[in-house]
Amino acid sequence: MILWQRANLLIAMGFGATVLVGVANAHIVREDPWHPVAAAYRASMFLGDLVPVPWERVGAAWTEAYPGALSEDPALERLAKLDGGQTAAEAVEAAIIARNRQQLYESGSRAASLVLRSMLDQAEANLQEGGDPHGALNDARAIFRAFEEFIRQADPKAYRNLGRAWLDLNTSAGARGVLGAGEVAADQQRFASAKAEIESYLVANFEPEVFTPRTRLTPVPETVVAMSGEPEMAPWLPPGNFIGDQTPLPLLVLNFEEQGIDETDLPLIAYGDMLFDSPEIFGEPARSLGITCSTCHNRSDINKEFFIPGVSHQPGAADVDGSFFNAAFNDRRSDGIDMPSLRGIRLTAPYGRDGRFASLRDFTRNVIVNEFAGPEPTPFMLDALVGYILEFDFLPNSKLTDAGGLSESASDEVRRGEAIFKRSFAQMDGKACASCHIPSANFIDRRSHNIGSASIAYDGARAGALDTPTLLGIRFTAPYFHDGSLPTIASVVDWFDNRYGLGLTEDERADLTAYVETVGDADQPFEVFEGKHTPFRLAFEELTTFASTLELLIPRRDAQHAKLMIDTVAADLAADASTMSNLAAKPDVYELASKLASVGGAIDAGDWAMANEQWRAFKAHQAEIDERMY
Amino acid sequence: MLRRIGGVFIVAIGVVLYLSGISLAATGDKLTLAFIPQENPEKLVGDVKRISAWLSERLGADVTGFVTVDHAAAVEALRNGDADISFMGALPFVLAEAEIGAQPLLAEVYRGSAFYTGRVFVRRDSGIETLAELKGSDIAFADPISESGYLYPLEAFVKAGLLTPERGTSSFFGRVYFAGGYQQALQAMAGGLVDAAAASQYGELLLTPQQQAEVTWIAESEPIPSHLVIARPGIDADLRSRFVEAMLSLNEPENQPLLAHVYSPDGYIAADTSAYDGVRAIARRYGLLD
Repeated sequence: MILWQRANLLIAMGFGATVLVGVANAHIVREDPWHPVAAAYRASMFLGDLVPVPWERVGAAWTEAYPGALSEDPALERLAKLDGGQTAAEAVEAAIIARNRQQLYESGSRAASLVLRSMLDQAEANLQEGGDPHGALNDARAIFRAFEEFIRQADPKAYRNLGRAWLDLNTSAGARGVLGAGEVAADQQRFASAKAEIESYLVANFEPEVFTPRTRLTPVPETVVAMSGEPEMAPWLPPGNFIGDQTPLPLLVLNFEEQGIDETDLPLIAYGDMLFDSPEIFGEPARSLGITCSTCHNRSDINKEFFIPGVSHQPGAADVDGSFFNAAFNDRRSDGIDMPSLRGIRLTAPYGRDGRFASLRDFTRNVIVNEFAGPEPTPFMLDALVGYILEFDFLPNSKLTDAGGLSESASDEVRRGEAIFKRSFAQMDGKACASCHIPSANFIDRRSHNIGSASIAYDGARAGALDTPTLLGIRFTAPYFHDGSLPTIASVVDWFDNRYGLGLTEDERADLTAYVETVGDADQPFEVFEGKHTPFRLAFEELTTFASTLELLIPRRDAQHAKLMIDTVAADLAADASTMSNLAAKPDVYELASKLASVGGAIDAGDWAMANEQWRAFKAHQAEIDERMY
Repeated sequence: MLRRIGGVFIVAIGVVLYLSGISLAATGDKLTLAFIPQENPEKLVGDVKRISAWLSERLGADVTGFVTVDHAAAVEALRNGDADISFMGALPFVLAEAEIGAQPLLAEVYRGSAFYTGRVFVRRDSGIETLAELKGSDIAFADPISESGYLYPLEAFVKAGLLTPERGTSSFFGRVYFAGGYQQALQAMAGGLVDAAAASQYGELLLTPQQQAEVTWIAESEPIPSHLVIARPGIDADLRSRFVEAMLSLNEPENQPLLAHVYSPDGYIAADTSAYDGVRAIARRYGLLD
């Protein structure tokens, strides 16, 4: 498992300090922006491994500004400006036109390496001419980042040598200080030596005369592949991805909590809560990437920032039956969907955008086993996970009565909108909006309808019917429709007006929009952090609640489920420590995580008495440090 | 306390801003701010626009800003009159004060303090617990004019009697690197390229969560005054006063979201020039000041 990708961190550099902003539960570090050449190279290698290869996206990665890159220069433009770069650029273009993966790997690797080496040349020239070499040096280092993690995994010795060579480069480049004070003289000989070491490795491994044919396009050093074939590499994501939680973090409303019941008294539910946050239930690559149910459904809702280039057609969406997560489940169709909220899910059957699953249990198993390549979950796991999910409630909305009517405070505009909502239209077969979004039934009818929002896959297809979504809470779940094609509630109203020729006036559309926004509103949609109620505190309370399931699992001698929980929680506890406001207490968290891991060690050894003893030690330590946990 | 992450791109952005005709000198009701590249340059450019616009409205003056290559360039801009105000680390400030008479206006507050520390970090599995155990070891510092990433941690070795400013680092360490910033220095240590790294006490947050769990610190420097906002000498007194007042108003709850556009401190306090005496002293000890 790549723990470094499993954390709850969003870093913003301060001026002499680092502060944490927008931290939320069980998620991932937001990447620093990439150099455009590194971004294009890594993105095209990632996309080149998808089946089918999205060649248009591969081309765009090189020829257009890469989203989120350090600058907007298209990579091929940068490449073409270099000595020898035009030929390299043409090779990349030829590979894309030929739709040839091996050519793409070879030309892309050569291109990225060439740009890097040219930056080193420029840095050296600057140094020799008495200029500042650091700019070009930083540029070169930023491109090296494209190769770095793969060298680290496949060729650790070279990784260390190259790492020290980069340190040598930066040190020997000298420093100009401030107005001469603190100036450090450059060491051109040391610089040249370090530069030569990096260059020779790059040429041998990313610009060789002949590349070994590749089955996968992960940039593995050529000397390694030539010697021993393609090694197994950790899953990775292309630049521009984000699989952390959205900001602000949605508020989680659990039925039992609202009734004052403590989750630690509901061990099956608590275990299901843990599974919802555990990548251990999925297979590769989701598991190593730290992807969990809550990655897409933050706090039971959505994640409008989730994005993986080539997997997501837009933020908040994913093609969960493409080749990336489970090659065996690849439907070879580009049919990404906008993530649905799971709020109130026990009341919203059937499941799936087209309502293909009547059973939440079947739906959940399909997500684990088929969409995310996980092993078959045990009955206990499915019971727990479904049990937990069934506790998801809708956000309280005091603007609505229990039966879905408007409260007394509703404005005239909203009341006029309600009347339109309930008005029958001949153009809709005499139905009203409220016919499907039944106010007294949580604004759904539990049926599928073809309203014309889905494109038809082939002539005569009758696959356009989609499950009626609830309108509750939708003010916070834009965009709309199964594919997220409509950005606002107003645009949905306009779509219906145009699609069905309803002839609504501008005022009527505004009224209807206001009504739907009122229905979709909430008293408190997002988690509010203040004082010691920090994102870490929230995570800490969750994780220790998950750990409390040992009260059930140790007496049962249930090693399998105990280990799964410990693997999840110990790793997350340690990772979450990085998000603490009270940084002085970080070591306490590491110690707590270590104690939990010790429980797992004892279980591995079959020593349940020791496991119980370690568990007691965990609880004692938890109680001791609790006040400092924020 | 310099970071050169993405420095080349920041250079490019700085050039673009210069070429786009932004006024770089203060005349009348004009004020030019110099920003030091510290984070995502795209975001920083947006920050410059946002805070400049707010200040323009608040001061009733034409406030513009630009991103410099580094601290040195910012000081040069102040000297040349290309900038009136700059954000600055404590050590570059005392150098700028000595060279061009730069004046401290505001000190930043982080996590409730106007001071922070530098630390010496090692990997937990190294078994290293004291500075003395680093004899002959390789170390990565951030930058030669970084207070928390070089001079102050170095002073911790001096106080431990392990080296002297006169004899230099080579008398104690194996190889000494200037990695270019906190993150690079700490990554080198965490990745096993060197045995120790010196960085701000908050520098470890630049490591991945897993790396953070794998590293610890074995020495902490004396408190260092936090970064500050400084002015060139000769700036219009009224404009300077109004600028300070506006910046202090960022402490008010309704303005606090704007702090995210000026490197995200908790807030500002008026700078106390005596707070930098220690920095001046250490700069003298290491030959950076006469």
